Amino acid sequence: MGAGEGGLTLEAATAKQAAPARRRRRRFKLTTPALLGLPVSWLAVFFLAPIAIVAAYSVDVLVLFPGPHGFTLSAWRSLFSGTPYLHLFAKSVEMSLIVSAVVVLVAYPLAYFLALSGTKRKYILLLILIAPFLTSYLLRVLAWKVILGDQGVINTFLFWTGLRSPDDPLSFLLYSRFAVMLVLGYVWLPFVALPIFVTLETIDRGLLEAASDLYASRLQAFVRVTLPLSAPGVVAAFLFVFIPTVGEFITPSLVGGTGGYMYGNQIVDLFGTGFPDWETGSVLALFLLAVIAVLTVVFVRFLRAGEARAA
Amino acid sequence: MDVALSPNGRRLMRLFFALVIVFLYAPIAILLVFSFNSSPVPVFPLTGFTLHWYHDFLTNADIQNSLETSAIIAAVSSVGAVALGILAAIGLTRHRFRGQLAVSALLLSPLVIPLLVLGVSLALLFHELGIQRSMLTVMIGHVVITVPYTILVIRPRLEQIDSSLGEAAYDLGAGPLTTFRRVTLPLILPAVVSAFLIAFTTSFDEYAVASFLVGSRQTFPVYLYAAVRFPSRLPQVIAVAVVVLVVTLVVIVAAEVLRRRAEARLEAPA
Repeated sequence: MGAGEGGLTLEAATAKQAAPARRRRRRFKLTTPALLGLPVSWLAVFFLAPIAIVAAYSVDVLVLFPGPHGFTLSAWRSLFSGTPYLHLFAKSVEMSLIVSAVVVLVAYPLAYFLALSGTKRKYILLLILIAPFLTSYLLRVLAWKVILGDQGVINTFLFWTGLRSPDDPLSFLLYSRFAVMLVLGYVWLPFVALPIFVTLETIDRGLLEAASDLYASRLQAFVRVTLPLSAPGVVAAFLFVFIPTVGEFITPSLVGGTGGYMYGNQIVDLFGTGFPDWETGSVLALFLLAVIAVLTVVFVRFLRAGEARAA
Repeated sequence: MDVALSPNGRRLMRLFFALVIVFLYAPIAILLVFSFNSSPVPVFPLTGFTLHWYHDFLTNADIQNSLETSAIIAAVSSVGAVALGILAAIGLTRHRFRGQLAVSALLLSPLVIPLLVLGVSLALLFHELGIQRSMLTVMIGHVVITVPYTILVIRPRLEQIDSSLGEAAYDLGAGPLTTFRRVTLPLILPAVVSAFLIAFTTSFDEYAVASFLVGSRQTFPVYLYAAVRFPSRLPQVIAVAVVVLVVTLVVIVAAEVLRRRAEARLEAPA
């Protein structure tokens, strides 16, 4: 890592020098805890402690309503013993996997075109591609609500042109699984091209030329050289979509109806005002967090292994 | 011969790229069109041009209050996030120490936590501590979310800086604070401004965490979310959203251009 190298050279430089340098080094070492103390304690109090409290709720050590209580794993046990929650989680994972896969498949050629076609305007085109991601998330979801509804842009356009009778709109468009997946894909597509672009951009073109000199066709060069080298970017892109979408609740609550109801909506409802069940809600939230934490750790390991192989 | 793309492949990809751009911008363009359409419901056929909805939002106190609330929250939380980010970035860049990877992982981990889970967790924390939900609780949540971004923006810039500059200042008798103020800060200022803007726009647009922590004063996304459910408010909401969108885009593009220029200028004498 860059920071490590910086530290090493500093250390090497100071080691070579005499007493005053050693004093300086000691001084630097003392400042590190002072610098990191505040950010680390901020996250300890407002990030780690809240998760610990959720954990306490999930095993009934803390409760919403006063009454007799103590440590119990019953909510955890019921999650894994055929309650609808696990089924809902599987549904969310499935939706999210499809969205991530489709979005990566669409984004890959875009990134490939920008990084490898040798176009001079690649950074401007990249900015144009990513700009929608920088605009309001809710606004982009709202746009699709306007487009997909029974009285939406698509349907009223079909009525207007006489392609479809006003009594018979395409009603699967809004408040459905389809709507949720379409909108999630739309929202994340611009962002996903970025990590793929970055890995493709760092590929040494000389490798492709070497492949070509060795009589590899373009397809062979792509399959044997470009694709493997861009794998970290593809995996990163996939996870960058999967991680936020699997726990998504905003899009499904706006365009999902009952068909597009996801795991995240269930968590919100359990903490909501209707029939709150903080114990079960905490279990669901922690389970989601655990799955994502495992995925992240596996991914970081994968990247490290890749870097080690490259080095 | 081009080793990456055949001429036909290039043409095909250019076409595909253009189609995707149309797909990405069409919905936004449609919103833009309906924000100038005189009908109170966003349906075809178009009924005529009006600035009515833009005028409406200038007189709508709810919208203005929510914009103001969001601006205050975004300003305060991004100052906080940038301050913590500078401390963390310097602490992580100075030199190696035991547990550095763990500390760095902790500082970046809010990037991957589902915001829903963070919102719920913070709501439970404040519930346990008996703290009323307010603008302050939203700010706290937004600092947690945006600190990693500020570190990611500031740290690479710090690593580029020649460490001998700081040492020179130190040798000339400057204390750590003076060295930071007179040497380090001016050199990382473009990155600091970028970090601030990223944190600001993230906070300004954030709904998931805010929805669990918001008090009596609604933030703009919370207002927007509620308003989307009432069709009669749609055209107005679209008009505001379009204004916010344009402002965001202009600010982001301008900031990026300025940052590149400033960094190029800082590099030039060296």
